[in-house]
Amino acid sequence: MTNSIREIREADFLLVIGSNTSEAHPIIAMEMKRAVRRGATLVVVDPRAVWMTTIAEHHLQIKPGSDVWLLNSMAQVIIAEGLVAEEFVAKQTEDFETVKAAVKDYTPERAEEFTGVAPDLLRKIARQYAQTAKAGIYYTLGITEHSHGTDNVYALANLVLMTGHLGQRASGMNPLRGQNNVQGANDAGATPVFYPGYQRVDDPEVQARYERAWGCELNPKPGLNLNEMMMTMGEGIKGIFVMGEDIVLSEPNANHLEEALAGVEFIAIQEPFPNETMRFANVVLPSTVFAEKDGVFTNSERRVQRVRQAVEPPGEARQDWRILCEIARAAGLDWTYGSPAEVYDELASLAPSFSGISHSRLDELQADGMTGIQWPCPTSDHPGTVYLHGDGVMRGKGLFQAVTYRPPMEVPDKDYGLFLSTGRTLYHYNAATQTRRETGPVAKHPEAFVEIHPRDAQQRNIEAGDRVRVSTRRGHIDVVAIVSRQVRPGCIWTPLHYAEARANLLTNDKGDPVTGTAEFKVCAAEVTRLGEGPELATTFRGNYYSTAGPGA
Amino acid sequence: MSAMNQTLVLDGRKVELQQGDTILDAASRANTSIPTLCHDPRLKPVGACRTCLIEVEGSRRLLPACATPATEGMVIHTQNERVDRHRKTLLGLYLTDHNKDRNHGLGGAPNQLVAMAHEVGAPTDWGQLPSKRKANSEDDNPYILFDAEQCIACARCTRYCDEVESVSAITLAGRGSETTISTNDGLSLLDTTCEMCGGCIDTCPTGAMTERKAAAMQAPPEWDLKQVRSTCNFCGVGCQLNLHVDEAANAGRGRIIKVTSPPAGTTSNDGNLCVKGRFAYDFVDHNERLTTPLIRDKAGVLQPATWEEALAAISLGLAGVSERHGKNSLAFVSSSRCTMEENYLVQKLARQGYGTNNVHQCAAT
Repeated sequence: MTNSIREIREADFLLVIGSNTSEAHPIIAMEMKRAVRRGATLVVVDPRAVWMTTIAEHHLQIKPGSDVWLLNSMAQVIIAEGLVAEEFVAKQTEDFETVKAAVKDYTPERAEEFTGVAPDLLRKIARQYAQTAKAGIYYTLGITEHSHGTDNVYALANLVLMTGHLGQRASGMNPLRGQNNVQGANDAGATPVFYPGYQRVDDPEVQARYERAWGCELNPKPGLNLNEMMMTMGEGIKGIFVMGEDIVLSEPNANHLEEALAGVEFIAIQEPFPNETMRFANVVLPSTVFAEKDGVFTNSERRVQRVRQAVEPPGEARQDWRILCEIARAAGLDWTYGSPAEVYDELASLAPSFSGISHSRLDELQADGMTGIQWPCPTSDHPGTVYLHGDGVMRGKGLFQAVTYRPPMEVPDKDYGLFLSTGRTLYHYNAATQTRRETGPVAKHPEAFVEIHPRDAQQRNIEAGDRVRVSTRRGHIDVVAIVSRQVRPGCIWTPLHYAEARANLLTNDKGDPVTGTAEFKVCAAEVTRLGEGPELATTFRGNYYSTAGPGA
Repeated sequence: MSAMNQTLVLDGRKVELQQGDTILDAASRANTSIPTLCHDPRLKPVGACRTCLIEVEGSRRLLPACATPATEGMVIHTQNERVDRHRKTLLGLYLTDHNKDRNHGLGGAPNQLVAMAHEVGAPTDWGQLPSKRKANSEDDNPYILFDAEQCIACARCTRYCDEVESVSAITLAGRGSETTISTNDGLSLLDTTCEMCGGCIDTCPTGAMTERKAAAMQAPPEWDLKQVRSTCNFCGVGCQLNLHVDEAANAGRGRIIKVTSPPAGTTSNDGNLCVKGRFAYDFVDHNERLTTPLIRDKAGVLQPATWEEALAAISLGLAGVSERHGKNSLAFVSSSRCTMEENYLVQKLARQGYGTNNVHQCAAT
C-alpha cells in the first residue's frame, strides 16, 4: 500500500476493485464502512456481488477479465474531459503521451461491449474519481491473478498518476496483502530476482556486498519464480524444499503438478500440519505456528510488527528459524544465530530500507503505546514512513505504462460454457489447515460449494442444494450448488479452501508473462448435476445460501 | 483535527480545544479521566448510561461528557460533591440489577461496572432485584456467550454491530427492565448475518458479552493469565493481538485461552478483530499437529525419525540433486505465513548454501 490503513476512514472516494474486502480483509472493510458512514462514495468493481456492494453507491458488475477496458476507458474520459492533474503530470511523471495515445479509442461506448458497464455510469465514476482529492484505489488478487495482471496494475497506476492521487493521505494505490507476511517475505528477499530490500541479484554492486557479508560467491543469474518452478517441476527442477506452503493444494492445475512431482527426486517439507504436499515428501520436518515463535511480520501498509512466543511447541516440533539454522549447519554453513533478533539485525544491516528497525526498537516503541514501524526506515532515529511518495515520486518520475486489452487465456466455449472464478471466504483461510480445525468456521461453511446464477442453474436442471460437478479442461470437483444472484449470468464462483474439492484442480496455470502469477481468477468451466444434496439452510447457516443474494 | 485557539477550563485548568471535541475528548487529552460505560471511541456517542455526567457552570442539569460538544469558555467540574453523589447513586442503582460478584464473569471476563463501583465507593447494599433479562438459551454458536445477568443494556454491543461491523445481527429487544440483547426472531447467531467478529465482546463493559470457549475451558480468570502481545497470522492487515495464556496448562507448554485486541485507538486494527483473528486459535493445540520428523522408507511410507536423521537426509537429498543435475535444479519455496527472519534464512540458504536464486515465497502476488 502506498498509504496506511488508518487513512482509509478519511477517504472521500474509494474505488475497490477485485477485492472481496469484507471477507478477505474484514478489518480494512471496517475502515471502508466507516468512510461510507461518514459520507464517502464507495464504488465496487467486481463480477460478483460481494458484501461490500450492499453499501456501495455503485457496483460495476463487469464481465470477468475486462478490467483493462474499464480502466483504460476511465482514463480516456479523464483525458477527454480535461480532468488530468496537469501540473502533477508535468512535474512528477513521464511518458504520459504514450498512455494518452493508447487509451484514445477506449471510449465508454466501446467499453460497454466488453465490460457491460453503461457509458454514462463509467463517465460519472471517472469524473468523480478524478475530481475528488482524497480518492484511493484498493485492490487485491482480483486484479493480479490474471494473465494480464500486470496490465491491470499498470492501468490502475495510470489513473493514479494522471489524477495526481499520490503522495498524500487517503489516496494512492493500495494492494491489500492476502497473507500476514506476504510483504515481509518479499521484503526479506524470498524472491528469485531480489536480495532483501528489493536489491537485484544481477546488480554487481549488490552481489559484491552480499558476497562480502556472507563470505561466499553468489549466483548473479535471476532464478525461477514460483509459477515457473511449478511449470518445470520434474523436468528442470529435481529437488525442492518447501517451508510453510501446501503447493499441491494452492498452486493451479493441480493434476499436472501432481504428475510432475513424481519426477522430482527429492522433496523436503517443513510444516506444522500434515498437508496434501506431504504425500510426495521424502522428509517432513515438524515446525511451529505463530504463537510458538518470535520474529516480525510486515503488514500491507509496510508496518513491521513483532510476533512473540506465547506457548511452547508440541512434541519435538521446532521453531522454523532454528530448523533452518540446523539445515544450514548440516550443509556445512557456519550459522550461529542466537535469536530471530540477530537474524533481523543481519537482514537490516544489508538492506537500507529496514536499517533503522530492530527488535529492540520495536519493543521500546510498543512500551510507549505505538506499534511497529512503517518502512522505509533507513536510520534508527527515522520515524518510518506513513505514506509513500510524499516528497515526490520515489522513482524520480512516475512512469506511465500504456496497456492494451488482451482477453483471458481461456474463455467459455461450447464445451465449457461458463466463466469460473475462485476466491476466499470469511470463514476459511487459504489451504484451511487452520480454519477447518475450528468450530465456528466449520459451523458456517462446512463444505465446498459453487455459486451459480439462477438462469444458468435452470438451464442445467440444477436446484439449490444439489450436488454438482464443476469441470474444466484440467480437472473436476464435486460440490454443493448455491443458486445465487451474487454471480453474473454466465459466471460461477467457488472457494479455494477445501482439500476434498480442490479449486486448483480446475484453475489455469498459464500466467502473466511478467510476474508468472497464474490466472486463478478466470477460466472456462461447466457444471453438471450429480444428484440431490444437503439442506442448504442447515448446512450453510446464516443468510449465505440466500438465493436472492445482495445483488438482487 | 486542528487547533482552534479556543479553550475551556476543566477542574481549574485551561484546555485547548480541537475541532469536533466533546467534553470527554478534551478531558482525555488533558489526562483527566471521566468514568464511562456506554462510551466507545469507535461509536457515535449516545449519552445513555449517564455515568459520565459532569457539571458545567451555567447549566442547571449535569451534562454527559461523552455527548456534549466542548465550547469556548466552558467551565467544567468533573469531580465535586454533586457529581460524586450522582455517580455513587447511579452505580449503586445499576448494581441492584446486576451480579455484583467480581468473580462471576464467565470465562474471567472483566467487569468495568463492578470495578468502577468499588472505585467510587458506590453503595453495594441496596438489595438485589431479580434479573428479568433473558438470554437465548437455544443459541448454539460456538464463540459468543450472552450472560444476561451482567447486562446493563448500554447497547454498546448492538451499536458496534450496526456502526462498525455493519451487519446488525443483534438488537435491543423487550422493554423496561426486560430490555435485553437479542437477534431477529431469537435466532441462533449462526443463523443471522452475524460474522462472529466478536466486537460485541470487545466493547462490552460488564462481561455480559463474553467468550464461550474461555468459559467452557474453565480457565483461570483473565487477570491470572499471561498476556503476550503479538501479530495476527491470517490476512495482511497485521492486527495486533493479546494472546491470553494459561501458562500451567498443557503440562507447562501453555495454552491460549482467548485472544483480544489492544484498546481502540492504539493500533492499526483500532480494537477490532475478525472471526479468524479472535477465535481461530484452536489449531495451535490441535491433535493433528506434526510432532516428530518423518522420513519416507523404502516401502514408501513416512516413518518417525530423529532430528539428526532427518537433517542428514535433507542435506544428502538436496546435495545429491545439486550434484547430479546442477545448482539450478533445486527450488526453495518459502512462506508468506512465516516470519521475515525465517524468509531471510530460506533465501540465504538457497543462495549461500546451494548457489541458486530459485527461491520464492508462496504468495507471489
